[in-house]
Amino acid sequence: MGKSFLSKKTSLGGSKYEKKNSKDEKKGPRLPSALQREVDSLNTRYSDNSDEEEELHDTDIYEYNEAQAEEESRKNRRYDPVDNLEYKLPDEFEDENLSSDDDDNNVDHASESKSNMNTSDESEDDVEEDSVGRHARMLQNITGMPAEVFDGKKQKFGVVSETYPESEYNPSRDTLDGDGRITIQDLLVPLQKKRGYSELNKRIQKVERKSVPVQTPISKVLQENVDRKVAYEHTKKDITKWELPVKRHREATTIFFEKDTNVGFSTVGAIASGFTPRTNFEKKMDSLINDAKVVEAYREDGARLLELNKISVEDVIDHKNSLAKMRSLLFRHEMKAKRIKKIKSKTYHRLLKKDKLKASHTEMQTDPEAAKEEAMKQEFKRAEERLTLKHKNNSNWAKRVKKRGLEAQDEGTRVAISEQLNQHADLTRKMYSMKESSSSDETSDEDDEDELSPDANPDGVSKLLTKAKEKTQKLLETEDEMGTSGVLSLPFMVREMKKRKEMAYAEAKLAIEDYESSLKQLEDTNGAATSEIRTSSGRRVFGAARKQPEESVNRTKSGNIDRDSDSDYEYKANDNLDVDRAGNGALQKKVPLDANMLRGESDSGSKSVYTSFDDTVRDPDPKTTYEVAIFASNSWKKVGNKNVSNGIDKKSVVVVEPIRPQQDLKEVDKDDTESEEEMVDGFLSSGTKADYELPSQEDLIRRAFAGDDVEEEFEKDKLEVLNEENPEPEKPLLLPGWGQWTHIQKKKGTPSWLLEEHESAKRKREESLKKRKDAHLKHVIISEKINKKVEKLHAKSLPYPYTSQEAFNMSMRVPIGPEFHPAASLRALNCPEVVKTPGHIIKPISFEEVNPHEKEDEQKMKGPNQKIKNKKSNNVKGAKKTKIKHKSN
Amino acid sequence: MVVAGRKGHVALIDMMNMDLIKEFQVREAVRDVVFLHNELFFAAAQKKYPYIYNRDGTELHCLKEHGAVLKLQFLRNHFLLASINKFGQLHYQDVTMGGMVANYRTGLGRCDVMQVNPFNAVLGLGHSCGKVTMWRPTNATPLIKMLCHHGPVSAMAFHPGGHLMATAGMERKIKVWDIRKFEVLHTYSGHAKTLQFSQKGLLAIGSGSRVQIWKDTAGNQDYSRYMSHSMVKGYQVGKVNFQPYEDVLALGHSQGISAILVPGSGEPNFDTWVANPFETPKQRREKEIHSLLDKLPPETIMLDPTQIGTLRPPRAKEQLTKQEREAAMEAAIESAKQGPSKKKTKGRSKPTRMQKKKQDGIMKAKRPFLDQQLNDERQLLNKKPKLNEEVQLPLSLQRFARKEAT
Repeated sequence: MGKSFLSKKTSLGGSKYEKKNSKDEKKGPRLPSALQREVDSLNTRYSDNSDEEEELHDTDIYEYNEAQAEEESRKNRRYDPVDNLEYKLPDEFEDENLSSDDDDNNVDHASESKSNMNTSDESEDDVEEDSVGRHARMLQNITGMPAEVFDGKKQKFGVVSETYPESEYNPSRDTLDGDGRITIQDLLVPLQKKRGYSELNKRIQKVERKSVPVQTPISKVLQENVDRKVAYEHTKKDITKWELPVKRHREATTIFFEKDTNVGFSTVGAIASGFTPRTNFEKKMDSLINDAKVVEAYREDGARLLELNKISVEDVIDHKNSLAKMRSLLFRHEMKAKRIKKIKSKTYHRLLKKDKLKASHTEMQTDPEAAKEEAMKQEFKRAEERLTLKHKNNSNWAKRVKKRGLEAQDEGTRVAISEQLNQHADLTRKMYSMKESSSSDETSDEDDEDELSPDANPDGVSKLLTKAKEKTQKLLETEDEMGTSGVLSLPFMVREMKKRKEMAYAEAKLAIEDYESSLKQLEDTNGAATSEIRTSSGRRVFGAARKQPEESVNRTKSGNIDRDSDSDYEYKANDNLDVDRAGNGALQKKVPLDANMLRGESDSGSKSVYTSFDDTVRDPDPKTTYEVAIFASNSWKKVGNKNVSNGIDKKSVVVVEPIRPQQDLKEVDKDDTESEEEMVDGFLSSGTKADYELPSQEDLIRRAFAGDDVEEEFEKDKLEVLNEENPEPEKPLLLPGWGQWTHIQKKKGTPSWLLEEHESAKRKREESLKKRKDAHLKHVIISEKINKKVEKLHAKSLPYPYTSQEAFNMSMRVPIGPEFHPAASLRALNCPEVVKTPGHIIKPISFEEVNPHEKEDEQKMKGPNQKIKNKKSNNVKGAKKTKIKHKSN
Repeated sequence: MVVAGRKGHVALIDMMNMDLIKEFQVREAVRDVVFLHNELFFAAAQKKYPYIYNRDGTELHCLKEHGAVLKLQFLRNHFLLASINKFGQLHYQDVTMGGMVANYRTGLGRCDVMQVNPFNAVLGLGHSCGKVTMWRPTNATPLIKMLCHHGPVSAMAFHPGGHLMATAGMERKIKVWDIRKFEVLHTYSGHAKTLQFSQKGLLAIGSGSRVQIWKDTAGNQDYSRYMSHSMVKGYQVGKVNFQPYEDVLALGHSQGISAILVPGSGEPNFDTWVANPFETPKQRREKEIHSLLDKLPPETIMLDPTQIGTLRPPRAKEQLTKQEREAAMEAAIESAKQGPSKKKTKGRSKPTRMQKKKQDGIMKAKRPFLDQQLNDERQLLNKKPKLNEEVQLPLSLQRFARKEAT
């Protein structure tokens, strides 16, 4: 009994264990009454603890009691199938208990009363049992048969005691009493043998176990409210799927409603599969390809090929093994590298580096290929250094160190910095050394030229020539000594050097010869007239200048200055030359030379004149030469007309104002060619005619319009306009008598703040005037009034994709039209918002789920036959918005 | 071609086949005639008013508002008829709707030189004080006023490209201007009663009985004589005009009209979308409708029409003067002082408290003004260095600027 009780206590719920309990109860030994009392007291104690437990115990107690009755009922078979009836009872008790659960006594009472109330038959049973027991004992004694026999008898008797059959019309006694109600379990009993019983039973048990008191339903209004809320949330979430297609529709510049023209073929394979040969050629090809024989042969061949492909098992294994080996080797190598990389010891790394260096050195010396590679690497490094200046203490670290001062650093840092610098120097120095061989020649050449150019006298030239000769010889000698150590000692370098040397040798020899020949020439010419030397030297200079146009300009300039300074002398020389021109013929050479020089130097743009001069000089018939000398200051020009005819010189120099030299010259030209009366301009001037007084005409005009001083008027007008837009600040005035009585005013003058204000206002005005478009146009007034009507033709703010005003303005200047665009793009540009083919029914927009992982075009989203085009280009107003309340398609 | 004589004779000639279409007498002085949007209509400035006639010589309208008009011009893209009358009043009339678009007084006296710039439809007027003014219908004041000559302006003409203007003054000067920079390019001496540019940029100058054609041979706008033609002595050339798409110059002189050939003056290739000499009536009607649909509003007339559609130029801020600002501040302070004060209990509306609160209110009212003042000053300070930076390099070249070496 106690055991059953304990088991009950551990189990929380009743019905699940109910069957077991009944079994336990069957087996359970009967406790002595003393023990039972103990248990009772325990129960009461438990009941103190909590209601739950109390309930539990109550039922226990009850069941415990019941167990007795059951046992009793055991004897009377009638109760056997209706075990559960007994179990149902506690529910009622529970209710009773609930009503009086404050009191322990009450519980006891209740239980007692229960037991009392629990039908009078119990007491009767007890009595009966007693009598039956006695009777059985008596029978046993008499017959010597076991009590069981009589027991059965008794059972039989019990059954018999029921005189009427049990049915719903004849309810059993306890049902009539009201506490033995028909339960689901009762109803289930007849189904026990049926198929779905166990399942049903389980379900019911579950239901019962979970039985919780049902709450009263909430009011309908509230319920609906909640329903609506949930529905709203749900649809809200659901409706977001429309956002994208609708947005796309709205932003689309054009929506097409057209019949969906399905091209049908989606892939090349699909197209190819539908291919049927049509032309003769195709048919022939087809017959060949699909020829049964050919196919057969191909198949057979394939089979044979497969046979050939067979690989022996050993081969495969070998291959696999080798692969595995390689892999493991690689892995090991990797691991090793990793380990080495992880080593932090500096000395180790240093040693490693040294080793590597040594190895590479040896390799370089032995293997030319490796050496080349190394050189390439070095070159690359150098180039990098040049590019990045990495070792020039440009790094943040170095900068910081420098900022703090080198003195503040410890030994290591200082060393590191200096080492970096060294490295940089090293890298860059090497670069020089590499280039030296090629660049030195050039520089020396340049030097020579530089020295040669400035002085043009023959002595200098000869000197230079000799110098050059000496130099080249020296170079040849020194070149032999060069390069016995360092990189130059390398074999490939040596080879290269040799080649170079040979070339240089040849060159130098040529140069020496050249020098010698020219020296000789010089000596010859020195004997001739000095003036001619001058010309020759001059020619030489300019010839050189033409050969090397990149040569410094100042050199030629200096030459010019020389010429300018002794231009007088030159003039004379020219005269001399003119006189004995017939004999010499040197003039023809000289004059074009002069012209060249002038053309190069002059910036007055009067080339045509000079060319004409050239022409005149070149053909000897007219015998007229024009000499134009430009003086160092280009402010004025000398036009010399020299008519050399029959040895009589006629000089007439016309000096013209420098204002419009070109025009004047042109006029001079015109004089020669045409002598019409009607010149467009009033200037008619020629050497022979009397001079036209230019200013007199202006005077005349001035005199004619003397009455109206238009300019002044205009100025006044402009000032008025300006003042209208920004009025001139008033002069600082003081109220008369203000502060005068103290004489302070008189002493100090107007207060400084007043003056300051006035000054600032004045400055402001000037600034704003300066900003005007017509600020430096004296004769123009540009209205700066802003017209509101015009403002609407401008964009108010920068449209979205543009970030700069200039870009936008430029884009607006791009013309749009059939003249500037191909037909297709123009059609796209001015496509209407909605394109609908007549007769096409616009269906509402439909939504199709698209699997994002599936790579399909988005077209499906938009519905079956709907195309949306987004044009970004040129649409000024940005994307046109199409309203789609009922979306289209 | 429409011709009109000073004595009131108006004639319409088809220049393709030199047929006289219509000729009639208006019996009063006709000062100017101009075709409207097509050859079916023309306006004639007569003694008192300008009139509009059609091809048959039927008078359609009398534009009384214009007064005694001296010169007429038609802006064909805007459908505006512009006129300047004896009193220097400039009228713009819309010929489609008939409304008077603008009516401005030039204030510079009688003016009988008027030309429209074909590029931007800005109207140029030459005045007797040597000024040239340029007008548009939306501005009551001239866009440009420039002093071109010391004497009265006798003639002016615009290059079809819109960048050149030629003016002639009574003081024996002919000037060629760059009207983008408003600077004189070249000055020549000579008289001109009338000036006209051809489609290819030849400049016809008529003075006295002489007509000269100048050409810009070098391409640097330096015009020089190309041709010259002299009429019989005593004929006075009144007007020269080039025939579009032909190498013909028509001269109107005191004895009638004559035409001379000027090689290379007209555009050899005509664009039938722009002007079709061989237009059928149907095409003409079509074109009329199209041009009416494409009519531009008068606001679109501006010096630089490429500016249309660009971003609005930054408007000069309406800066209040100091006095105004101070007045505004005073007003705010006044209102803060006058503001109603709540009555509070528990000693919270003691006089001292109230005073303090009032002071706070005043400070609060002042605050925005002071802040703005501070801001302005700061901006001024900030602006100065910025200006220097801008001066350094234009935006497009800044990317080439050498980065500061670090």
